[in-house]
Amino acid sequence: MNTRKNKGYFFHTKEGRRNFRLCLIAVLLGILFLFPIYWMLQISFKSDMETFGKTLTFFPHEFTVDPWMANLGDKNFLESLRNSFINGFLTMVLTVLFGIPAAYGMGRYKLKGYQAFLLIFLVAQMLPASLMLTPMYLTFNKMHLLGTFFAPPIAIAAGSVPFAVVTLRPYFKSVPVTLDEAARIDGCNSIKSFFLVMIPAVKTGIITIITISFLNGWNDLMYTMTFNVKPEMRPLTANIHKFQSKYGTKWNCIMAYGAILVLPVIIMFIFLQKYIVGGMTAGAVKE
Amino acid sequence: MAAIAKQKTRTRGTKRDMEGYGFILPGVIYMILVVGYPIVYNFILSFKDTNVQNLAKGTSVFIGFQNYKELFSNPTFLLILKNTFIFTLGSLVFQFTIGYLLALFFYKKFTLAGPIRGLMLIPYMMPMAVTGLLGQNLFLQDGLINKILSWFGAGPLPWLTSTATAMVAVVIMNCWVGIPFNMLLLISGLSNVPEDVYEASAIDGASKMQQFFLITLPLMKDAILAVLMLGFIYTFRAFDLMFIMTSGGPLNSTDVLGTYSYTLSFTQYQFSKGSAVAIVLFLCLMVIGILYLVLIVKGEKDE
Amino acid sequence: MKRKLFSVLLSAAMVTSMAVPVLADDAASTDLKPNDKGAEELTLWHYFDSSADAQAIIDFCNEYNELQDEVYINPTYVSRQELMNQYTIGAVSGELPDIGMVDSPDMESYIALGVFEDVTDQFADWEEIENFYPGPLSSCKDADGNIYGLPQNSNCLCLAVNMDALAEAGIDEIPTNLEDFKAAVEATTDESQSRYGFSMSAVSTEEGTFQLLPWIVATHNGTKTSLSDLTAEDAAIGLDILGGFVANGQMSSECVNWTQADAYNQFCAGKAAMEELGTWQLATIEADVNGAFEYKVALLPTGDEGTSSSTIGGENFGICTGCKNTEEAVKFLKWFMSAEEEAKWATQAGKLPIRSDAEPVYDYEEEGFETFQEEMNYALARGPHAEWPTISEQIYTAAQKVFLNGESAADALAAANEVIAPILEENPLPEQ
Repeated sequence: MNTRKNKGYFFHTKEGRRNFRLCLIAVLLGILFLFPIYWMLQISFKSDMETFGKTLTFFPHEFTVDPWMANLGDKNFLESLRNSFINGFLTMVLTVLFGIPAAYGMGRYKLKGYQAFLLIFLVAQMLPASLMLTPMYLTFNKMHLLGTFFAPPIAIAAGSVPFAVVTLRPYFKSVPVTLDEAARIDGCNSIKSFFLVMIPAVKTGIITIITISFLNGWNDLMYTMTFNVKPEMRPLTANIHKFQSKYGTKWNCIMAYGAILVLPVIIMFIFLQKYIVGGMTAGAVKE
Repeated sequence: MAAIAKQKTRTRGTKRDMEGYGFILPGVIYMILVVGYPIVYNFILSFKDTNVQNLAKGTSVFIGFQNYKELFSNPTFLLILKNTFIFTLGSLVFQFTIGYLLALFFYKKFTLAGPIRGLMLIPYMMPMAVTGLLGQNLFLQDGLINKILSWFGAGPLPWLTSTATAMVAVVIMNCWVGIPFNMLLLISGLSNVPEDVYEASAIDGASKMQQFFLITLPLMKDAILAVLMLGFIYTFRAFDLMFIMTSGGPLNSTDVLGTYSYTLSFTQYQFSKGSAVAIVLFLCLMVIGILYLVLIVKGEKDE
Repeated sequence: MKRKLFSVLLSAAMVTSMAVPVLADDAASTDLKPNDKGAEELTLWHYFDSSADAQAIIDFCNEYNELQDEVYINPTYVSRQELMNQYTIGAVSGELPDIGMVDSPDMESYIALGVFEDVTDQFADWEEIENFYPGPLSSCKDADGNIYGLPQNSNCLCLAVNMDALAEAGIDEIPTNLEDFKAAVEATTDESQSRYGFSMSAVSTEEGTFQLLPWIVATHNGTKTSLSDLTAEDAAIGLDILGGFVANGQMSSECVNWTQADAYNQFCAGKAAMEELGTWQLATIEADVNGAFEYKVALLPTGDEGTSSSTIGGENFGICTGCKNTEEAVKFLKWFMSAEEEAKWATQAGKLPIRSDAEPVYDYEEEGFETFQEEMNYALARGPHAEWPTISEQIYTAAQKVFLNGESAADALAAANEVIAPILEENPLPEQ
């Protein structure tokens, strides 16, 4: 976007003034809407004194990173942080492994049972975790999966695999048939053409899947809390109550904890916004 | 298409089919094992009397509809069922209305429309558990919300420590998450309404209001239905928000089916009772879910 | 692009996992020392989270690990709420620690669940067990008298008073009966300083029950209320008055979300003139109040003049089912609860010992500890009873109904009684 051109555009035409007005309103709406996030961040930089103070302050009068260090200097916190990454990562791997080929199959082949398969994925996407939790818990217990890093991602991927299928299918559908056929004529077999031709062609969709499935694992509370029976394996989300009882009403430390959990989401947003936005719309309604 | 396929040799067709199944089946089998099996297991469990004492010994027995009977004669469960509907409908009304208004605004073309509506998605993507944590802080007795109320000479309200207001606080936090989601989907719904329809109606002398109610709304019917149904499905199964923000309290006033099922199964270890609650949750969801599926399949055929 | 993102995520995961040991070593010099000797590792779960006892458990484990070469005790903190879940989950999945700490009233129900191992034989010829106070020890036994572990500390509840606030309100003496206490709470509440008269925990966990019980089992008009008769004439007086505090803005209704640590923080921050204080909090109160006001500890004024009531708290350590090395674990407990270590623990963590031959010399808050020791005489033990968790749930629910819904205390207790009475009829609480 050419900013210099926009500046002229901004003030000298009716269209420009309208644009400026709308931008202003949008910024105000954005600030209002995202204020809770600012609130969390500003508390996380307050001293204990100010947090316990009798008056509510809107920005840290005495800026300190102590609450962040209280978390980052804690062995248990770092362990949980690592576990959150592991959980997100494994969920992503499972989703990629099962979701992408299935989406390709659903998008490019007209098969018997197609409707049934589609139904399975669509229904699976709607199911509440509560429904799967107890049976999975009892089954994983029998399989000695409880207390391993694999138990929660297996369960979380049950939600993100269908998401991947539903989201990616239209992407695969839209790849021109000629591209595929050209590859086959060049002597690629189906597996080769899947990896060499199709995957690169739907790159955008795949980035969406990777990001969102990672976040699904990162954000999960219910499965990790229940299946990670070993305290040293629990991720940050599952340890919120634990750290809350440690910090008591030290809201600066609690909010720093929350901010660290949100940070990857914000970072991913800044770099991958268009993929996430596109993917979410595609997966949810347009189908 | 079918005719062309038939013209090709049979072997080639089968080989291609095999390839297709090869890609799809791992995913389908994964779903059947990880989703299908637990659902069946859950149904069975809900008709037994499995709890922590008899689980290890394997001495649980079938007791028919006993768990369901007990649930529906338990005032706590009925309260929780009511809570779940209040929470869902309350969230839907506000997140849809506000989401729609924002969608109408952000659908306009201006420089910052894209980036700002993108940033507004952060609450939707961040861990719900953190939203709950944040909600706890915002609704403290001497927290931000009461501070804002005091500027208008209102409050302070007890929020999370009162059975009358805790649900309102939880709904507000849930709307904060749901609004951007609704907005996003409705914007994409709006973009499916062709521009020339407006132009034509403008020539016919329709006012903005008339345009909205007579053209935009009917044309967006499917998108709106989809948003509402998806919203229902995502909201009705809520767990994380309450679990962190209120633990279902005070006095079960923010307990919903998701949290109650968890409590029964994993703090009281009445696995069968917890399963029965999960089944009730599942059946309620399926009513809306089937409507949603019909809508999707219709869209599929239209393609 | 995909590969790039993939590798970013992967390397982020790797960086954090590598950062764990590096940063952790920097963290504190008083951390748990590593298992250098390669001894067999026994995990120990606890929920000590006040700065004094959290540090004490590490110090004690360090000391024991140095003392002998057979085993390495590895203490792991699990929050109280989760710990209870973990034990029950563990009873099914077998994922239990080797040694587990538990709140004494809960021990009985976990024994019934099979979380703890019967170690009666290991203690059979241990004469020192004679020196344990019978109350706390009984909570480590099942109905047949088999032993599953040892009590480790005891504590109870007293009243902490902000003397400055009291003087400001024109009251010279700490209240010693419920009537005076009520007046004092009223007088010390000061909205302009955002100060409540009283703070306590009424949270929906065992902690809430612990703090609520003294007000329910108090002596009114010469009669002491019993848990088995919550519908008695004067049983509701205490809860009624607490409910009045909330209704009149003299106690924050947020007490239903507060843990004991939260209620204590309110007091230390000057936001509550009086507070229901736990023994262990004596270890940190001076530092936390930090000279902001003068404070004193007194008996809980829960009823008639000259009476008081409180609750006995304390933690037990049990040997968990499937313990890797029961013999060594028991040996550790015998050392941990020896007279000498008990006395050391009591002074360091601010607790009271559970055996008569342990003689802690408190070199701080001497008066406070004396008051707590006196209060022990009026303190009620919870259980042991296998269904204590259910009874406990009724107690805090009743209180929350009064605090939040404005229900009358008598009605709320009557509702609780409907559940509690049949339980106690079938299996009464032990005499005390």
